Amino acid sequence: MSISTSPPAPVVMTGAGSTELSRSEPPIIVFEKVTKIYANGQAAIRDASFTVRPRDFVFVVGASGAGKSTVIRLLIREERATQGHVLVEGQDLARLKHRHLPRLRRKMGIVFQDFKLLPNLTVEQNVAFAIQVTDPGRPHLKEKVGEALYIVGLEDKLSAFPTELSGGEQQRVAIARALVHRPRIFLADEPTGNLDPDAGWGIVQLLQQINHRGATVVMATHNREVVDLCRRRVLAIEDGRIVRDEAEGAYLRDGDAIL
Amino acid sequence: MNPIPALKFVGRVALQNILRNRGIALASVLTITLTLLGAGVAVVVVHALDGVLHTEESQASVLKVFMADHVGFASEVNLEQTLGHQAAVAKATFENKDQAAQQAGSSLGLTQAINLLEKSGAGNPLPASLNFHLRNIKAVSELNREVRTSALLDSGPHPTDYNADVIPRLERYIFVAQLGGGLVVGVVGAVALVIITISVRTAAYVRRQEIEIMKLVGATDWFVRWPFVVEGVIVGVISALVASVILLGVGVGFGGGHSLALGVGVRFAALIVLCLIVAGGALGSVGSFVGVRRSLGT
Repeated sequence: MSISTSPPAPVVMTGAGSTELSRSEPPIIVFEKVTKIYANGQAAIRDASFTVRPRDFVFVVGASGAGKSTVIRLLIREERATQGHVLVEGQDLARLKHRHLPRLRRKMGIVFQDFKLLPNLTVEQNVAFAIQVTDPGRPHLKEKVGEALYIVGLEDKLSAFPTELSGGEQQRVAIARALVHRPRIFLADEPTGNLDPDAGWGIVQLLQQINHRGATVVMATHNREVVDLCRRRVLAIEDGRIVRDEAEGAYLRDGDAIL
Repeated sequence: MNPIPALKFVGRVALQNILRNRGIALASVLTITLTLLGAGVAVVVVHALDGVLHTEESQASVLKVFMADHVGFASEVNLEQTLGHQAAVAKATFENKDQAAQQAGSSLGLTQAINLLEKSGAGNPLPASLNFHLRNIKAVSELNREVRTSALLDSGPHPTDYNADVIPRLERYIFVAQLGGGLVVGVVGAVALVIITISVRTAAYVRRQEIEIMKLVGATDWFVRWPFVVEGVIVGVISALVASVILLGVGVGFGGGHSLALGVGVRFAALIVLCLIVAGGALGSVGSFVGVRRSLGT
């Protein structure tokens, strides 16, 4: 399988990206000896520690069931750590009160493999939905939605319904919806999992552009090709343990072979 | 957050939900209408029964004390004033022998028999009486006990008209009617609550993806919950209105077209409609609130 490396996204963006500046700033995400054991006794994460600095781009890689999605779920506090601490912008998520959870989520843009679009709403309505349910009185709603859709290159698909779009386009709508709150942290859980290689590469490029605009991006994936092409920071998880943390890593450690 | 656009959004989403899930909404309206109708009928029947019992009770609350023929006017007045000033006595009236004969003649059809007795020289056999109207039916037995010690009373086997059986029986009927009515309303209310909770839970399940997205993009629990609560209120109020129309229609039908059946007045009918609307709205909101809890994970 091969993918075209030509950039399909029409938008040129500017921004700092991951720079030396971020080295001097405190980490935006901290995992401190985190263990997550589900109710059925299965340990999804074991004693994991890592930090992510502002404007970093991090791939969390590993086989299915390795614990990648659990990392994302812990970051959005869908799950709580059984042991250890997860901190986002210095806030310990274990101590975060339930009523403050929406404030945390608004700082984050989140996309998933299955897009999670509402099929009975148009592209424009799907993106506007994120504002309407959090801040219905916000002025210039239409402009903000238009801007988000322009960033993902779908400004001409406002009236289309999700079923009329390709998988790649649907994922772009999901990204636009995640962008309308101008999140500082962007989390993507297998965003290319349901896409063909070209569409998947387009999504990864879009996430890189979002990172260049200043957002910290954490992407859980088992898409080897995009990880190898990007050469960004790689956190590898095996059986719930962080086994590798490389600044410009590949999907596999040098010398490893795919079984 | 600006409340006006928020309320507009909540109202719009609630109406959209009802239209989108109109099958579930219709089923909810039907079942809640039936349960509210049951509650309405129970209230009307209990009210009518209560009315009958209270009429009986007010009649039983009068203790007739028969006076001996030899008692003079001054003694009668003395007894009337002594007992009539007790807190339990609302008023005391005197009925002389002629009034007693007239009363017995008209209410019991004994005019001829009394006339015959008078013509035969035996005179009016009926005693004069002091009638004590009591504020509370429970005070009748006590007054009866007190008054029986007086030497002024008729020496016959029944110096008063006190019937020991009537009052406890009436009290028992009133208690059973109130308990039965309360139970019916309570059970019907609980059934309606369960139905609304289940229907909202179903609606929340149908819309689980929408709720999931709302939570992911940072909507507060308030924002997720309120469209469901408003939806429940709308369904509850519509059900109450339908139940009220049916109840009033049946009431007018049985009342002969001019008035309501079972002696229900316009004011009481309006009160029932108001209560049904409040109950429908309350059931809808509480049922929805409970129903959507699971989806919020709170």
